[in-house]
Parts: sequence; C-alpha cells; structure tokens
Amino acid sequence: MRVQILYSFFILMVALAGHFISNAYYLQVLTFIGINTLLALGLNMLMGYAGQISLGHAAFYGIGAYATAILTVHFSWSPWLALPVAIAAAVMVAYIVGVPTLKLSGYYLGMGTLGFGMIINIIFREWSSVTGGASGFVGIPALSLGPVSFSSRQNYLYLVWGCVLLCIVLCRRIIDSRVGRALRAIHDGEKAAAAVGVDTQKLKLQVFVLSAGMSALAGFLYAHLVCFISPETFSFIMSIRMVTMVVIGGMASIWGSLLGASLLTLLPEWLHAFSEFEMVVYGLILMIVMIFLPKGLTRGILDIVERSRRSL
Amino acid sequence: MNSDHPLLIVENVSKAFGGVQALSDVSFQLFPGTITGLIGPNGAGKTTLFNLITGIFPADTGDILFKGSSTLNNTVHELVQCGIARTFQNVELFESMTALENILVGQHARTRCGMWGSVFRFPWVRHEEGRATKIAFELLDFIGLKEHALRKSGDLAFGWQRLLELARALASGPRLLLLDEPAAGLNMVETMQLGDLIRKVRDQGITILLVEHDMSLTMEISDAIVVLDQGKKIAQGSPRSIQEDEAVMRAYLGTSPQK
Amino acid sequence: MQEILQYFFSGITNGAIYAVIAIGFSMLYNSTDLINFAHGEFVMLGALTMVTFSGPFHLPLLPAFIATVCCISIAGLLFERLAIRTVRFPEPIVLIIITVGASIFLRGIGMLAWGKDAYSIPPFSTHPPLDIAGAKLLAQSLWILLIVLLMVACLHFFFKKTLTGKAMEACAIDKRAAWIVGIPSKLMVMLAFGLSTGLGALSGVIISPITMCSYDMGTMLGLKGFCAAMLGGLGSLWGSLIGGFLLGILEALGVGFVSSGLKDATAFFLLLFILYARPGGIISALNVKRF
Ligand SMILES: Nc1ncnc2c1ncn2[C@@H]1O[C@H](COP(=O)(O)OP(=O)(O)OP(=O)(O)O)[C@@H](O)[C@H]1O
Ligand SMILES: [Mg+2]
Repeated sequence: MRVQILYSFFILMVALAGHFISNAYYLQVLTFIGINTLLALGLNMLMGYAGQISLGHAAFYGIGAYATAILTVHFSWSPWLALPVAIAAAVMVAYIVGVPTLKLSGYYLGMGTLGFGMIINIIFREWSSVTGGASGFVGIPALSLGPVSFSSRQNYLYLVWGCVLLCIVLCRRIIDSRVGRALRAIHDGEKAAAAVGVDTQKLKLQVFVLSAGMSALAGFLYAHLVCFISPETFSFIMSIRMVTMVVIGGMASIWGSLLGASLLTLLPEWLHAFSEFEMVVYGLILMIVMIFLPKGLTRGILDIVERSRRSL
Repeated sequence: MNSDHPLLIVENVSKAFGGVQALSDVSFQLFPGTITGLIGPNGAGKTTLFNLITGIFPADTGDILFKGSSTLNNTVHELVQCGIARTFQNVELFESMTALENILVGQHARTRCGMWGSVFRFPWVRHEEGRATKIAFELLDFIGLKEHALRKSGDLAFGWQRLLELARALASGPRLLLLDEPAAGLNMVETMQLGDLIRKVRDQGITILLVEHDMSLTMEISDAIVVLDQGKKIAQGSPRSIQEDEAVMRAYLGTSPQK
Repeated sequence: MQEILQYFFSGITNGAIYAVIAIGFSMLYNSTDLINFAHGEFVMLGALTMVTFSGPFHLPLLPAFIATVCCISIAGLLFERLAIRTVRFPEPIVLIIITVGASIFLRGIGMLAWGKDAYSIPPFSTHPPLDIAGAKLLAQSLWILLIVLLMVACLHFFFKKTLTGKAMEACAIDKRAAWIVGIPSKLMVMLAFGLSTGLGALSGVIISPITMCSYDMGTMLGLKGFCAAMLGGLGSLWGSLIGGFLLGILEALGVGFVSSGLKDATAFFLLLFILYARPGGIISALNVKRF
C-alpha cells in the first residue's frame, strides 16, 4: 500500500516536472538524473545487494550506447529494434565475462572488473572503422514513435523516467522475493548462504547480467539523447562515478540510488568551474563516506538520527 | 529402529591441508533417526569432517555416501537440496536480516521462485511465499522466538542466535542435520533447553551428527559416539562404552600411550 | 633480429619499471593483506615531484631523487594514517572503494598542481645510446636497470639480514604471533606503507626522463604493476621482479608484431588470464617464497 503511494507520488512528480519546467537546460539535467539513476540502480543491485564490486560497469553502459549507434547508423535499423539487441549484447558480454570473473572475490574481483572495463574502452577507442575511434560516433538518430517525437525534451524526460520507474519496480520486486533474500544472504555471508542451499555462483551471475542489462538501457537512452558518443564517456572515470553514486546513495537502498544519482549529476552543475575539482571532490566523497558512513548517506544519516533519538 | 540402511556412510576418508593431516582414513555410518556424537580434542578434525560431508571441499581419498549415492561430485547447495543441513561452530547468521528472513532464506532449497517469478509475482509465487512464512513462524515457535521474529538477527542474544541458526538449518527440511558445537557459549539452562530441542528434532525422524565439547550433554542425548583424535577415529560405540575406553581417556588427558 | 632486439630493449626498460611498481604492491599486500588501488598515483606523484625538484627548484639529480622519494613516502604514511587506519569496517569492498577514492583524489591533486601538461626531465647522464647488434640501448635504460637491480639487492638484504626486515616478515606471516613476541605490528604496517609508496615514487623518478609525465599517467602504470605482481605471484619479491620483466617484454613484442594500439590491452588480457586461470601466478609452481 505504502509502496503504491510512493509510486504514485513519483509519477506525479515526474509529470509535474515535465509539465511546468520548460527551460531546456533544467529538462536536460533532469533527464540525465534519470539516466544516471538507471546506472546506479543496476550497480546497486550488484554492489549493495549481492556485495560484489564492479569497477568496470561503464563498459556495459558503453556497449548499450555503441550497439544502438552501430545498428541505427551503419545498418539503418529502427532504434526500437536496436534496443533489445543492445541490451542482449550487454547481457551476453556480461554472461561470458561474469562466469570466470564472479568466481573471484575481494580485491581480485575489483581488479578483474577494472581490467575488463579498460579492455572494452580500448576496443571502443581502437576499432575505429566501426566505433569511430577516439573522435567519437556522430549522427545517431533521435527517437520517435509514430506521431510522438522524442526530440522534444519533455517527451524524452517522460521516456527516461518511465524506464526508471519500470526498473525501480523490477528491482523492488526482486529484492522483496526469495531471490532478493538470497542475495542479501550472500552479502552477509557467502559461506552460510551456500550452506542453506543458495546457488551463490548462479545468483551472482544473474544479478551481474541484470545490472549489465540496465546499464545498457541507460546507454541506449544516452546515445539517442545526445546523438553523439565517444569513448571518453565510458572510461574508468565513469565506472568510478557509478560506484560513487551507489556509495553516496547508500548500498542496498533503491531510493538511495535515486538520491546518489541526483547528487552526482547536480553537484557539477552547482559548483562553478567544478570540472577542475571534479576528481578531487569525487575522491574525497568516496573516502569520507566510506570511512565514516560505510552504509551510505541515507542509511548513515538515518542511523545517526536514530541514535540521537535513542539517547534523548 | 537401526535396522534400516545407513543414511550416511563415511568410507576411509582422508584430508590434508598442506602438511597437516586433518583426517586420515576415517570411516563410520549414521543410521536414520539417531543422534551420533562426534567428539575429540581441539584440532581433531571434526569441523573438517563436516566440511567434507557438506561438500565445501572434496576429500583427498575415500568416499561419502548419502542415501546410498556418492556426494563427492555435488556442490554445497546441491547437497542441501538432497537433505543435508548444518550449523557453524561460530554462529553465521545473516546479521542484517530479521530472524524471520533468516528462516525464509533457510527454506531456499525447498522453494523455487526465480528471477521471473519474483518480477511477475505469479499466483503460485504468492502461494509459495505464504506457505514459507507460515513454516517460518512454526519454526520460530519451535525454538521459542516467535515474539522476536522481526528483530534483526545480529541484535539477538547469543544463545538465541544459536537457536535461530538451528531453526534456519531445519528450515531446509533436512534428513541429516550436522550441528557444530551448538552449545558453545550457552549457559547451563540454555544448554538443557537445547538438549530437549535436539531430541525433539530427532523424534521428527531427522538424523543428527553432533559435535560438542559439553560431555554431559553429548553423553546424555547421543545414541552412539564416534571419537576422533588427530584426524584418526580412535573409538566408536555407545556413550557408556566410550566413557570407559582407554584410548579416549588418553586422548583427552594427554598421557602418552604406554607400550 | 635487430628489430626483435630493439623490442627486447624497450621491453626490459619498461619491465624494470613495472617490476618496481609490482614490488610495491606485493610488499604492501604481504604486510597488510591490502591491495592499494592508489599505488599508481604515487608513481605519478613521484614523477611529477621529480620534475618540479629538478626543473623549477634546480636541485641536482641525487638530492632531487632523494627528496622526491622521501616526500612521497611521507605522503604514503599520511594516507595510511588518515584514510586506512581510521576505517571502522576494514572489509575488502570498503578498502577498495577508499583506495580507489584516494586514487581519484590524488589524480585530481596532480591535475590541480601540475595542470594537464606533460613534462619530462633530461636523462640522468648524456652518454650516447649503446649500439648492440644494430639495436640501440639508451643510457637511461641502463640507469633504470642498474637502479632497479640495486634496489632489489637492498630489499633482499633488508628482509634477510636486518632485524626490522625480519620483524616485517614475521608480521607478514602471522600478525598476531608477531604481536605476541613483541613486534609493534602497527609500526610495521606504517613502515610497509612508507616503503611501498617510496618504491612507487622511485619508479616514477626513474621513468621521468623517458616518458611524458602527466597527472593521468598513474592509473595505467599502477594497473600494469599489479598485473606484473599477479604474473609473478602476489606477495613475492622475486616473482614480482620476474613478472615485471615478463610483462614489459610481452608488451613490447605485442606492440611490435600486432599493433601499437593494443599496447595497453596486452597487460589487461594477461591480467584477466592470470586471474581466471592461475591466480597464484605463473611461476607459483616453483613455490616462490614470500619476502
Ligand atoms: N581450511 C583449512 N586450511 C588449512 N588447515 C585447516 C583448515 N581447516 C582445518 N585445518 C586444520 O585441520 C586441523 C583440524 O581442524 P578442525 O577445525 O577440523 O578441528 P576441530 O576438531 O573442529 O577442532 P575444534 O574443536 O577446535 O573446533 C587443524 O589442525 C586445522 O588447523
Ligand atoms: Mg571445529
């Protein structure tokens, strides 16, 4: 019941935003928040719930974007046909890479995913006959569906946030089920999870694949919004940005992903001449949050409030 | 009662970690519906034996048969599916989850809702969920923690955590239950309650292999005892015969064998 | 033949540098079970600090060298004190994120302090390149090899012959037991951090005459160093050394015979291969000893 209210509120907010905001810049920022929320949500399923770190998730974001770019431009496919193929491509890569990678744990998993992300980025950069190389890929068509054109910023906003809502519902349902419980069990103790009958390897792989698919969806939306992509966007820094969103919003918190994505999208817009300081700020945020509030901002602040209330 | 086929057969099992021979050539059998005590001094290889039976790592040599078929090629979760459940020497609950959720996860092996099921919430999924919750409350009632169902398991008192871990193991509906020092860290009253619970579990027809340093508990509730020392089985028999066994005395009192 | 030799020379030059970075990783891992994702950034800081000391500050080579290594070691100690020791839940995932955060932070600092330009310093000596069978070996390459071998010998001596070194080794084998016999393990961890980041700085210094040094050089070097350490078996001194040279040579051959665009990919493919197939390193069968 409470969840329905929350969803309705969410839809209302998006509708209001789309209706009343006409400033192109604000609409663009809101759309980016949506795309980043998709990224954070997917990674949070993997990091927050299953407890498996990935430092190369920008690769799936990139695969989604490049797949749709290649199919729509080189092969003149309809974007709506390219979408399932883009997601399937990311899912397939995730499956192939996930089987050996998810056998690793801890630091090795971090290094493995990092190495994977780097390789994919090098492919984007070096395979220039297909990807356009370092200078990028131009001329990706805008989206339209029958009479509805998504080149209008309002419509794109609705499209992106519709996807966000869909993914939130999807993730919520998974979390609140037998599968979600098993995931959290893996997070708390992999050995014990296996000992109660959870196929930890299979489940981790499923979540990895799911989060790759969501990242690819975000990549698709990004590519058709900006109509131009380049390897820079999907580099190591992007992977770190995704991790930062999850960490700030709070691991294992779905609405936290929304918060983390919003903060990290708005922060650069707010801080004037932020770009110079971007890395210093991200680095500090990551360190400070992890040292003092390892459960993330939302959870950490809730904990502090609870503690102070108890001590009263 | 013991006339059936053995439920578990351990056959000449050995296991070494580098230079340490944790188990050498251990054999014994467990009969359905019995409690067998597995005792031995620290480092005797009891936990290692548990890890072999539950498939955490493979034996170097020998074989383990459960319900008549070898378990050597099965993974941990497959063996849970077959009906082997365990608790850990150091309580390993899912601490961020509630007591109820811990037992729900415990039922993982006998429920089947997957990714698609959870996303689309088919009627059978909801039915399964409802039944699992009902069973979970029954188990919580069984260990006397029904009122604490919604508390985080990490916040429970230590004795309760042990009980909860027992209930979680039972939730998978096992034929064979392995308990690794379930009374460690419990006071006398709690230990007695635990003894009663273990007997009740046995009376449901579940076979139990019990590692326990608390001799009075072990001797009281076990139908048979197996003694390990430094990886070797040194004695086996009824509790009474074990108490009088010389080899066992030597192992526990540390006097060197006289020749 | 001449071509192969030329690739080989450039391979061992880079390899020596990867080896020093790998040894830094390995040593820290040995004493603290931690993999410092920010290690590469200390290499970057070392190189750029050296650039500053020998350029604008006009310090002679040796003092600049020593001052750089000392400064970066102190930075490493600060890092340990401020970011690592304060962690309340030192699980791998937390430490990964913290060290990755530190890596981004240091990179940002590097960019603020030195800008986006690339710098280089003159070679340590101005000898002309040696001509061996038609292939050219730079004097700086000789310097690098010499310094690296000297450093490995010193480390070997330190761990085998000095009391402090033995204490560190004891800590690495069993922290609790070391603590019981009275070895101050906290101090040993600090020492390990100082040494490890100092080694990072050293590799930055010796590389600075042969590459263009900029704020973003660290990540790649760090990853390659890690790859080298994994190749040789993480935690082993000689393994890291061999792994470094192996990676350098393979990479040079990859550039020579496949494509220069794949230079960086070589290391990552090797890394993934090692992680998947032989996480103990390719020479683990030889039972390489720890430090
Ligand atoms: N994973 C492992 N790796 C290396 N050695 C191990 C491992 N597990 C157990 N050992 C060694 O095997 C021997 C037997 O250990 P085990 O834990 O089975 O003893 P135990 O009988 O359960 O003792 P306790 O009563 O203290 O629990 C010990 O010497 C132990 O150090
Ligand atoms: Mg034990």
